[in-house]
Amino acid sequence: MKTTLIIGGIAVLLIIFFVAQYNRLIRLNVAVDEAFAQIEVQLKRRADLIPNLVETVKGYAKHEQSTFDAVITARAKATTATSVADVSAADGMMTQALRGLLAVAEAYPDLKASANFMSLQEELSTTENKVAFSRQFYNDNVRLLNTAVKTIPTNFFAGFAKVDEREFYEVDEATNRNAPNVSF
Amino acid sequence: MATVSFRAAQSSNKRKTFLLLGAMGALTWLVLLSIFSYLGTSSAAIVPFAVGLTLISVWASYYGSDKLVLTMTGAKQIQESDNPKLFGLIQEITIASGLPMPKVAIVEDSAPNAFATGRNPEHALIAFTTGILDAMDRDQLQGVIAHEMAHVGNRDTLVSAVAATTAGAIALISDMLMRMMWFGGGRRDRDSNGNPIMLVVSLIVLILAPIAAVMLKSAISRKRESLADATAVAFTRNPAGLRSALEVLAADSTVVHQKSTAVAHIWIESPLDGSSVSKMFASHPPIQERIATLRAMESLN
Repeated sequence: MKTTLIIGGIAVLLIIFFVAQYNRLIRLNVAVDEAFAQIEVQLKRRADLIPNLVETVKGYAKHEQSTFDAVITARAKATTATSVADVSAADGMMTQALRGLLAVAEAYPDLKASANFMSLQEELSTTENKVAFSRQFYNDNVRLLNTAVKTIPTNFFAGFAKVDEREFYEVDEATNRNAPNVSF
Repeated sequence: MATVSFRAAQSSNKRKTFLLLGAMGALTWLVLLSIFSYLGTSSAAIVPFAVGLTLISVWASYYGSDKLVLTMTGAKQIQESDNPKLFGLIQEITIASGLPMPKVAIVEDSAPNAFATGRNPEHALIAFTTGILDAMDRDQLQGVIAHEMAHVGNRDTLVSAVAATTAGAIALISDMLMRMMWFGGGRRDRDSNGNPIMLVVSLIVLILAPIAAVMLKSAISRKRESLADATAVAFTRNPAGLRSALEVLAADSTVVHQKSTAVAHIWIESPLDGSSVSKMFASHPPIQERIATLRAMESLN
């Protein structure tokens, strides 16, 4: 009688333990999905700013067609990408193109002084930060998930929960670190 | 400063909070022991009374902290259209931290300062003085917001409510006992075994306990400030922003016009901790120490 109680108690504790590990993995996995969705939301926000920004710059700087084209192409790429690698590649390209556009704007004092451009610039810098933070948040979540998938005891449940290591979101460091070269 | 990485700083400050809360528990236990040895177990009735009384008062202010603090500090809640730039900055930190968007309020005061409150992240409120919004650039303000959101994420309103309850209950118990001794002429319960050394020790404990409790409460508050600095860096990965914001606060000598000292501990820079206040009772670590810690984190990047 007593032993059955003890065995039953241990069984219940084990089940609770298994459920907790399983749920932890699922939770971490969902958090990564959510974080990736957040990156896409922020990239979309940034893409939505672009037509307005290009129009404003065009009003003052008509002869910078190649810069405008680069931004428009990057925007088109960004709106169609879906996988982590594609999204991050398009993201890097867009960041580069936007820097080019803002560098062009530097050469036009009238443009820089216009209220419209200034408010766009503020909106763009907060959006850039949001994109950067959503990447960082995603990578933090991937780090937590990947650690859980690889460490005891959660690693025993990873296969059962169908949760696997996820890909980090990497922006091409080399292009990101160098400021764009602008020649006039 | 031995700890330089924000992750190490976060876990060390969390560990120290637990130790301090443990010390607070031990102190409570010591006080109870002293009461029993001094007055016998029949006096135990005052314990639930004292704990209950402080619990009610602290819990009420904890539960309604987001609304209560608004009236105590004169902060006015604002909407996104009132200050889109500030909201943009706060949204950046909500994305970096994964916390929900807090309510935002402004205090009309030229002294630069900010605070966070609210019983949980869903009921959080962060407030800024008009002075801090004018004095700081984008990166500095981002650091300040990250520090306030770190308080929200670390649930510091709860931690300080727990600390305030314990310290308050201890103060009330020892105060009541002192009065009982004064007017009642000592022990009423004559069957308690009267070891004279034990009685003297108990008396000393009861006299010193309230002071020790306030010191522990302040120590917990200081650790939570350091933790919030470290967590802010975890959010922004930019120690320089918060560091230069603290430098602005350190250089500024104006002080928020406080209606009440009861909410002094919630500001990012304490309006009370001048040089006249002893370091043991300060609710914030010295600002130069915080700047040095952040500078050490910067050298890592």
